[in-house]
Amino acid sequence: MSIAWRIARRELRGGLKGFRIFLACLALGVAAIAAIGSVRAAIEAGLAREGASILGGDAEMSFTYRFADDAERAFMDQIALRVSETVDFRSMVVIDRAGGVERGLTQVRGVDGAYPLYGTVVLDPPLALAEALATTEHPGAVMDRLLIDRMALTIGDVFRLGTQEFELRAALVDEPDGASGGFGLGPRTIVTLQGLEGSGLLSPGTLYDSQYRLALPQGADLAALSVAARARFEDTGLRWRDSRNGAPGVQVFVDRIGAFLVLVGLAGLAVGGVGVSAAVRAYLEGKVETIATLKTLGAEGHTIFAAYFMQVGLLTLLGLGLGLVLGAALPLIFAPLIAAQLPIPIAFALYPAPLAEAALYGALTALIFTLWPLARTEHLRAAALYRDAAGGVQAWPRPIWLMAIVALAALLIGLATWLSGIERLALGTAGGIMGALLLLALAARGIRALSRRLARARILRGHTALRTALGSVGGPGSEAMSVVLSLGLGLAVLAAVGQIDTNLRAAIQRDLPTVAPSYFFVDIQPDQLQPFLDRVTGDPAVSRVDTAPMLRGIITRINGQRAQDVAGDHWVIQGDRGVTYATSAPPPEEIVAGTWWPDDYSGPPLAAFAAEEAAEIGLSIGDRLTVNILGRDIEAEIAALREVRFENAGIGFVLTLSQNALAGAPHTHIATVYAEEAAEAAILRDVAGAAPNITAIRVRDALDQVASALRSLAAATSYGAAATLVTGFIVLIGAAAAGERGRVFEAAVMKTLGASRGVILASFALRAALLGAAAGVVAILAGGLGGWAVMTFVMDTTYRFEPVSAIAIILGGALATLLSGLGFALRPLAARPARVLRARD
Amino acid sequence: MADPVLSLVDARLSLDGNAGRVDILHAITLDIHAGETVGLTGPSGSGKSSVLMLMGGLERATGGDVIALGQDLTAMNEDQLARFRRDNMGVVFQSFHLIPTMTALENVATPLELAGHRDAFDRAEAELAAVGLAHRAHHYPSQMSGGEQQRVALARAAAPRPRILLADEPTGNLDGANGQAIIEMLFGLRDRYGSTLVLVTHAPELAARCDREIRLRDGRIEGAALRDAAE
Repeated sequence: MSIAWRIARRELRGGLKGFRIFLACLALGVAAIAAIGSVRAAIEAGLAREGASILGGDAEMSFTYRFADDAERAFMDQIALRVSETVDFRSMVVIDRAGGVERGLTQVRGVDGAYPLYGTVVLDPPLALAEALATTEHPGAVMDRLLIDRMALTIGDVFRLGTQEFELRAALVDEPDGASGGFGLGPRTIVTLQGLEGSGLLSPGTLYDSQYRLALPQGADLAALSVAARARFEDTGLRWRDSRNGAPGVQVFVDRIGAFLVLVGLAGLAVGGVGVSAAVRAYLEGKVETIATLKTLGAEGHTIFAAYFMQVGLLTLLGLGLGLVLGAALPLIFAPLIAAQLPIPIAFALYPAPLAEAALYGALTALIFTLWPLARTEHLRAAALYRDAAGGVQAWPRPIWLMAIVALAALLIGLATWLSGIERLALGTAGGIMGALLLLALAARGIRALSRRLARARILRGHTALRTALGSVGGPGSEAMSVVLSLGLGLAVLAAVGQIDTNLRAAIQRDLPTVAPSYFFVDIQPDQLQPFLDRVTGDPAVSRVDTAPMLRGIITRINGQRAQDVAGDHWVIQGDRGVTYATSAPPPEEIVAGTWWPDDYSGPPLAAFAAEEAAEIGLSIGDRLTVNILGRDIEAEIAALREVRFENAGIGFVLTLSQNALAGAPHTHIATVYAEEAAEAAILRDVAGAAPNITAIRVRDALDQVASALRSLAAATSYGAAATLVTGFIVLIGAAAAGERGRVFEAAVMKTLGASRGVILASFALRAALLGAAAGVVAILAGGLGGWAVMTFVMDTTYRFEPVSAIAIILGGALATLLSGLGFALRPLAARPARVLRARD
Repeated sequence: MADPVLSLVDARLSLDGNAGRVDILHAITLDIHAGETVGLTGPSGSGKSSVLMLMGGLERATGGDVIALGQDLTAMNEDQLARFRRDNMGVVFQSFHLIPTMTALENVATPLELAGHRDAFDRAEAELAAVGLAHRAHHYPSQMSGGEQQRVALARAAAPRPRILLADEPTGNLDGANGQAIIEMLFGLRDRYGSTLVLVTHAPELAARCDREIRLRDGRIEGAALRDAAE
């Protein structure tokens, strides 16, 4: 047994008293990351386990704008035991009331008798789905409670979809395949396919998707079937999904959010690291005499280092263990609560991988933050026994330790980047955390220097409480560094979230609607276009109307190669896109490259492509695209690249074809109407009254939905930031506790000199508030910089400083330090001076 | 005879420790008059520092009365005691007890500031110069030697011109030369301001310089010796 280990063991007999903050910081940071990772693993396992139920079948074949043809049906019948046909589209629920007609946007699902293949549709009142949808006087329908409430419907009421009347039979509580569809614009209504036949909503050219859910024989080879189906039907616009990944959208979302929250968790761990470092520093400062004695007795620097490294190592293991137990247990304890919040199945269990990841992060963080103070013990000289200023604890560590710290930090960042799978964001976050820590450290030094200077300013003479507070912030043994670092980083994350959130909301709610249209109208049949235009263009409240023919198509091949092989996972080739055709050229300034086709062009099909997306994919003039529209392949050559602006929510198509390419294809038109808000209701009433099949999407409502999704994201980030703040608060308490001895002494001397408790309390309160406010100010600066960077470089929009949340953060910082400071001011105030001072003699 | 500046009447002090209640002082009665210099002596643990702490209101008697300048210290709360010290007393400790986060000048200026003197810093500078430390005004205690720290402590105690100066083994932590210098300064201050000086000491030669020596043993007054100036 080495001498270092024997020394370490003897030192540890003193117990863990000085290490409570160390353990709390490390355990909390590790627990947060372990818990986030465990929940993510549980969701992923749940999605995998319930894949078939979420998807609504073992596999799904879906088509845009059309139902399956005979060959496709034959293939399905050949491989599947049972097939369920459904259709999905947006429409308007229409109710005739005495006061007029009311309309609400809904996402309609038309189902056959086999639906659902797996799982159960839960209704209120608890009817069977077949019973609820059966046709009596009218076909039946079930509807999301949200829409029932919004439209003020009651069970038994009759409403229209298109030209067909339906009777509302029940509220839709749960649809088993609800999570698979992804982002829908309206609440769900379910009716039968048969019932929809008379609605006029499924005529050729209207926008709908058809899905065929397949119940496959036990043990069917999904991979082989997927390859077979794709090989046979891919160029016809078939999309294949199977239960191996029932809700790809949800999966990707959960994956991204989980990874992002782990990064936020790392910020928390960094704050914990500050606490860990402070705790080790304080512990070692208390050990100066022991270390000096050991050196007097002949211990070498490396022996001392090893002895304390082992102690800290053992404590780190204990902290990690506590954190892992907590992180693994929390999701299990709160399982019912989490499950109730998320509309997806979650398989709560013990997942070793996220725990290992958290432990690794924790161990590296502890190493990075403790090496510095540990390495400095090497410089401590035996002379410290009889002289205070014998160097040691203030000196810089040897270069080898500095290099080790840098290497470990690089390893931690590399691991986080690799394991998160979102490299740029991970590197950005790591850079942000390090930048913020550096900024905060510099700020702490600056605050100390400024306080020292101010404490000597003539103007403060006579203001004893303020002067002593400043003196304490600027003087030796100041808590400035730990407080500003720990509180500042948590506040900086919160400030950045606040700035980004407010700026985004402002961009959506204030800036966008001034340039965005009031309504999108979709599914305008060619013969309805002229009456529609007559109605809206004649309205003096309408400032602008744009229309465009609209089809949906999938880009299947680029220059004869599979589109995925050329463009990877670019969004343009993911699923179907809106496609339009144009007879006349756009304004010349919109054409970036190539030439537009003449108005009377009749040669081989030509295409114009959005310039930015073309550059991202690597397309240029002369490339050939194969687009599958309604099951038919159209090959077109790119003749022009054009500027398309999506951010104003107007009409923008990535792909425009020459008119002759789409001759004869059934299609509809979309229109955007820019109108004064007061005129919106009348326009909707007239348009929908004349053409019930036309769906109107109110842009304000759609933007509200986007805003609410962003709000959830901001809320999730805020929770992460809150975890960081809790760790920061623990570090604060640690700093306040560590400084208590000093304050007890100071209070005793001040009382001896004639200071009342009020003066002493004011001095303590002022120094706490000063530090907290300073941390808040720096956090605003760091958060503002982060917000500016995100808005400018990621969101591509303007940034404006948002003062309300900023002020709240400064006040919050001051309050947090004030509370922790005052909590530890009671003992100093109550202590009798004689006892304190004599104990030091 | 004029009223005493400091009176202890049947003063007792007991403390509750881990091992139970410990009686530190038993029925101490003594008077100290204006301008007197009194040395409190006795072996370690005899209670001499505790008597000094009672006189300064830094410790609260568990029985009897402590009267200073006609006011009963045992009836005052912490803040009243603090104000009383501010206006009337200076205290010097064996371990100096400078505030580590303040420079020498700030340490000396603090009691003057607390007393509301607008010229606190100017007076503090003069006091520091008087103890020969003008050049160390902006140094922190950790940057000074023990002798220098005690000189700062002395300047701090003397700055408000206290009527009563209390010193608890002021040379206990200093070498002979530094200790001697501190003693000369302490008595010099007392002569200059006419303060009453009470000091606790182990050093017989220091006790011998006082007008009166009070010896304590086991928390009781063992004896007293009065010297006149001719002795």
